[in-house]
Amino acid sequence: MLVDAIRAESFRLSKNRTALFWSLMFVPIVSLVIGAITSFVLKGSETKILGDAKMPPELKEALGRGTLDLGQALVSGAGDLANPLVLLFVLIGAATLYAGDYRWETWRLISARNSRSNLLLAKLAVVAGLALAAMALMLVASLIENVVRAAVFDRQLTFSMTGEMAGQFLAYAGLSWLRIVQFTMMGMLAAFVTRSLLAALFIPLVVGVAQFFSPQMLVPMGVMPDAWLAVLANPGSAVDTVKAMVEGGAAAAALPAGVGVKAWLSLALWTFGPLAAALAWFPRQDLSKE
Amino acid sequence: MTTVIETRGLTKTYGTVRALDGLDLSIPRGGVYGVMGPNGAGKSTLFRILLGLIRASDGTATVMGGGVGDVAAMRRMGSMIETPRFPPYMTARQVLRWLALEHGVAAEADIPRWLERVGLTEAADRRVRGFSVGMLQRLGVAGALLSRPELVILDEPTSGMDPPGIQEMRALIRSLADDDGVTVVLASHQLLEVQRVCDRVAIMNRGKLVREGAVSELTASGERLRLSAKPVERVVEILGVKGVRDGGGVLANVTHAEAPALIRALVEAGIEIDEARWVGADLESVFMTETGHQETPHAG
Repeated sequence: MLVDAIRAESFRLSKNRTALFWSLMFVPIVSLVIGAITSFVLKGSETKILGDAKMPPELKEALGRGTLDLGQALVSGAGDLANPLVLLFVLIGAATLYAGDYRWETWRLISARNSRSNLLLAKLAVVAGLALAAMALMLVASLIENVVRAAVFDRQLTFSMTGEMAGQFLAYAGLSWLRIVQFTMMGMLAAFVTRSLLAALFIPLVVGVAQFFSPQMLVPMGVMPDAWLAVLANPGSAVDTVKAMVEGGAAAAALPAGVGVKAWLSLALWTFGPLAAALAWFPRQDLSKE
Repeated sequence: MTTVIETRGLTKTYGTVRALDGLDLSIPRGGVYGVMGPNGAGKSTLFRILLGLIRASDGTATVMGGGVGDVAAMRRMGSMIETPRFPPYMTARQVLRWLALEHGVAAEADIPRWLERVGLTEAADRRVRGFSVGMLQRLGVAGALLSRPELVILDEPTSGMDPPGIQEMRALIRSLADDDGVTVVLASHQLLEVQRVCDRVAIMNRGKLVREGAVSELTASGERLRLSAKPVERVVEILGVKGVRDGGGVLANVTHAEAPALIRALVEAGIEIDEARWVGADLESVFMTETGHQETPHAG
């Protein structure tokens, strides 16, 4: 039954070209274009620098050489996938999915033949898939951008992927995925409670901005950045903390003691909190007023 | 007699308003069953509860032997309540494919057949955002039937349709019951349509069941005396609330025992009676009587 609902939601989303474009294609295309333009602009600067007669020949040679490692680009790109732009645009697709049945008044067509928790979880599963697809396209765009950069700067392309790098890649990608899904889950709760697409879009944005600025708001109140409240209030920063733990070395050593546990709890709170609230709310909801 | 829908003491309150007031209703398997009632009678509330869209305040309801929310039982039912809406970016064919997936049925091969049966073959690949209300109704009916349910609930299935469309829909509903063995429960304000297509009806008023039975029984029990007499105005005046104008004559709501005395009284009052004959009631008059509405006099 859950499988039926997931298949149906996926099919419906696959026909919604507008939502797919904005949530999947727009950010990779924009970042690719901006990346390519940046490469060409920087190439102009580099040519000017290398053409300077006063520059020592050894430095010129060092600047002109070099390789671009696509494996390394993938690992660092995976850690940066949950950036605000990706969060914002994946949210468009997610909000459409979560609020769509209210907007198009289609609950009455589907709610009798499946349990409401299955219908809700199916939407969550499809949004989780949407987030994965958005991440994959971002990584592809990042790879293409690196190939363009290598061509513009006449650098040699290499690909290295050690076991450690692969582990880091998976951990970073997993954390980015969790952050994206978690962010859209606020949209889920907003959609189910308010029945509004706009609320599903704007409430997560407002909450996200409040989370981002929470340290600045809490410190004047005497709550230090590593205090329970500060870490729980800011899941974005919790993701950075866990990322630093994955990275190890100096980044991990610089973390305050005990902040790791708080970060994991913050992630769990913002992931399971909205889900539990939506699962408690939706089965009792009057769906005659869509 | 097995039932497909059964309610016992079903009640729904919205604040101080009782939309359903202890409704006891048993809908038998087979045939076409009409649920009639004026606006606010509780028909839509009943359907919404049966489909699990809202919860009853009190009482019980079973559908196909299971409680409301019993997904296995509910999967044996199809429904279309109120004017259906669909994601506007989808075509009619895609809507049916989506509903088939949602309902967990492998109905891919059946989609063209259902599109044809509801008269949407030519519009199959058009986006539904351009559909008229009648076309949306047809698509909604196809969606309700796609999973080959044993029970179909249709709320105002002909709303927004043109006369040929209404005829086609009526024929489809009858063939579902007669040829496919589907039990059809429909609500409609079109009393003539209900009389033509339904085998049994329930008349609801203010959240309660006021009359239930076979259409033939209900109309037979509402026999009235039709008088062709002059002057008609005087006849109506004498009959008071028991009479209503019907074309050039008057329909008198009297029993066989009362008829001779009535005719004598009219003759004594100087009325010239051309003809007096018994006519069967139509569902409209039964409906009006049971729901306490005064019939509007026919012009003439």
